[in-house]
Amino acid sequence: MVELTAPVKWTVRLAAVGYVFLLVGWPVVTLVQHAFAGGLDSFRAAFADPDVSHSLVVTVEISLWAVAINTVFGVGMALLLVRHEFPGKRLLSAFIDLPMSMSPVVIGLALLLVYNGRDGWFGPTLEAHGLVVIFNSPGMIMATCFVALPLVVREVIPVLEEVGDDQEQAARSLGANAAQVLRRITLPAIKWAVVYGVVLTLARSLGEFGALKIVSGNLTGQTQTAPLVVEQKYNNFAQGEAYAVSFVLVLISVLCILVVSLLRPKESQP
Amino acid sequence: MSTAVLSQDTRAVGRGRPGVRSTLTAGSSLGLGVAMVWFSLLVLIPLAAIVATAGDDGWHGYVDTLTNPQSWAAIKLTVGQALLVTGVNIVMGTMIAWVLVRDRFWGKRLLDLVIDIPFAMPTIVAGLVLLGLYGPKSPLGINVSNERASVTLALAFVTLPFIVRTVQPVLAELEADVEEAAASLGAGQLTVLRRIVLPSIVPAIAAGAALSFARAISEYGSLVLLSGMLPYHTEVVSVRVLSFIEGGDRTSAAALATIMLGVALAVIFALDVLQRRVARRG
Amino acid sequence: MSIEINDVSKRFGDFVALEDINVSLPTGQLTALLGPSGGGKSTLLRIIAGLEKADSGSVNIEGVDATRMSPQKRNVGFVFQHYAVFKHMTVAKNVAFGLEIRSHGGLRPAWTPRGRDERERIQARVDELLKLVHLSQFADRLPSQLSGGQRQRMALARALAVQPKVLLLDEPFGALDAKVRKELREWLRRLHDEVQVTTVFVTHDQEEAMEVADEIVVINDGRIEQVGTPDSLYDEPANDFVMDFLGEVTQLGDLRLRPHDIEIGLSPDLAGSTAADILRLTRVGFEVRAVAGTEEGQEVSVLTTRAHARALGLEEGARVWLTPASGAATVPAMRSVLVG
Repeated sequence: MVELTAPVKWTVRLAAVGYVFLLVGWPVVTLVQHAFAGGLDSFRAAFADPDVSHSLVVTVEISLWAVAINTVFGVGMALLLVRHEFPGKRLLSAFIDLPMSMSPVVIGLALLLVYNGRDGWFGPTLEAHGLVVIFNSPGMIMATCFVALPLVVREVIPVLEEVGDDQEQAARSLGANAAQVLRRITLPAIKWAVVYGVVLTLARSLGEFGALKIVSGNLTGQTQTAPLVVEQKYNNFAQGEAYAVSFVLVLISVLCILVVSLLRPKESQP
Repeated sequence: MSTAVLSQDTRAVGRGRPGVRSTLTAGSSLGLGVAMVWFSLLVLIPLAAIVATAGDDGWHGYVDTLTNPQSWAAIKLTVGQALLVTGVNIVMGTMIAWVLVRDRFWGKRLLDLVIDIPFAMPTIVAGLVLLGLYGPKSPLGINVSNERASVTLALAFVTLPFIVRTVQPVLAELEADVEEAAASLGAGQLTVLRRIVLPSIVPAIAAGAALSFARAISEYGSLVLLSGMLPYHTEVVSVRVLSFIEGGDRTSAAALATIMLGVALAVIFALDVLQRRVARRG
Repeated sequence: MSIEINDVSKRFGDFVALEDINVSLPTGQLTALLGPSGGGKSTLLRIIAGLEKADSGSVNIEGVDATRMSPQKRNVGFVFQHYAVFKHMTVAKNVAFGLEIRSHGGLRPAWTPRGRDERERIQARVDELLKLVHLSQFADRLPSQLSGGQRQRMALARALAVQPKVLLLDEPFGALDAKVRKELREWLRRLHDEVQVTTVFVTHDQEEAMEVADEIVVINDGRIEQVGTPDSLYDEPANDFVMDFLGEVTQLGDLRLRPHDIEIGLSPDLAGSTAADILRLTRVGFEVRAVAGTEEGQEVSVLTTRAHARALGLEEGARVWLTPASGAATVPAMRSVLVG
């Protein structure tokens, strides 16, 4: 292997660490400093504020729904894409990746155009039957599902490919039907991939901002989520509360990263 | 995380394209059907709505919207900044991946974790976090809020992990014997890096760059508090789209949105092509 | 002398890979480093190449002390077990690599007169080499489109392109299947006869070493057990290990010897013959393998020809007399000590 000479090695090391430190590390530290600037005052103020506590509940609720739906979709899609052939498969797999590159604002707009109650494509019909999507939970759940769509699929597919279907074939030859094969062979094999996917989806869902701003209507105390409340509090000079809520959100996302990192066997360590 | 959904060539087996073989059973067909219904309702139809609405005012209306001075300024700013940040990421991302794979020092594990923070952090909080160090109350005395530089900063933050995470696994998989072979043939370190290592990771860099570019173009949340969203100065396309929506002008919003959508689709296409070329190398 | 190894030792942490290795490899010879896996032969090869540094001792290549030289400067060609192809380059570019490095790293643009000359010269040499290894028609393919055997031939051409003083091969056929391995073995021998460069190759396959090499260095546990021609190693093994490693060994009484060195007869007319009953008889091609049990319970393997077995009327249960052939290579067996 190429061994860099000492001065080059140190330069690269310093540049890499320095860049990440100045771009991410230190800024995050300032957030922690601001959040705890008055001891726990900001936190107390935040959690005493009904808007804030409601937003946290809404965020958790929406996220859990999105995680559940995306997990079912993700595992099912992964199974279909890896174990079967059908026309349009490659196109479908490419489109599933689309949300990773899409702007949340575009996602919000797209859903708005179709499901809004006034002049959407499906919205008025749905609302006539009592299903309000936009400015309501269903729309928010859909938006969150959209932005996190590929996360479970992308984790499960490589594992499914690597495991191969030998075990499944063996099980079938021993008399297991499709449901038994699924439950006793396939799902246990992808267990960890699903866990990683779920954790990543959760982190993504909790943090969604742009799409929800459009789809939820940002109605304080009703459809406002935690990230949206952060924006509102900051702009309304309740910065302490904004920092407190932000700290909680960052804490959860860092925990998610830690969980995945600790659970995952070391792949790229030399 | 793999850069694309499928890592193997999924072209249909069998001679010629017509009549792609289908191995779906009754159960899986039903599953596919249900999944497709959900996928259509969630993704395909809404995206179609954007394209359709963008054309509401006809071709001229579409072009007029895009060339409107404020919108055009937003487009130029967004594309320019995205390209700049992608360029920075190509250099820094590769360096960081190198350090993570081939270097050994105390705290490397911490570096690995910190890199994932921009992925997992809510974008609005990203803006807040950057304000802490580069805003009015900066301990460094650097205040870029409401400046162009704030856009660069925010985009660099949210796109940090992309190239690192696409290059890292490829670099880790490089076999030592290939580099030793080059050395035995007389290649010095620089030559080995230039002619052996770099070409092996260029596809991964390209994939990461594509993702980084798409993400930068579409960024919104981190810019809300940090950039001030000043028209002609720090207003990006996504902010403009949101203003149109809030102002009730859905057609203009959709028109601008098609640009971002187009970029996303182009990136997906490019990644697919890249992946197949790499697969050919074996 | 082409390669001289003096007092070379190497350890990896607590593990002693090589201890006080001294050996001289003549110019132009095809030498095999033979031994079991983990015995140190690959380490020795890599030290010769400069890919590993010895802890002590020296390496001389063609009279030059190469001990501290980087692999780039040693002008040795190296062929790896898993080919180490440059995946992103065509076969032709792979082979041309060393040549391009030597001419300013291939950086001189093709539109300058010198640049063009260089490119033509390199192209000519690449064509020559591809013809030598019978890969001319694959010049513009990617290595991924070649079979394992073809990739290894390409790797050989690549190593030979820069006219190395020494060619080193690290288990070159280990990753190939049996038939390809045999073909490439012969092919390597013929190539060496044609190109005449000092060649050292590492293998754990004694058949391969015996078939291909002019001289074999048997290495086990970091030490050299014996150096000699294939014949001398087979006929006059220095110790138990060499005897065991290079061929089949059986024990008759106190002697360890080759199964084909045991004369089998129907009467005890030869001096020193032992009585035994045939337990098992297998016919493989023109060979007949017999396992005979002596009165002391020893199971002796005997190899004889089909004709001889038929002449004697050998069958299972028959009483025979076993005698070591005169002039056979034998090693007295070490009496096993039972710790009781």
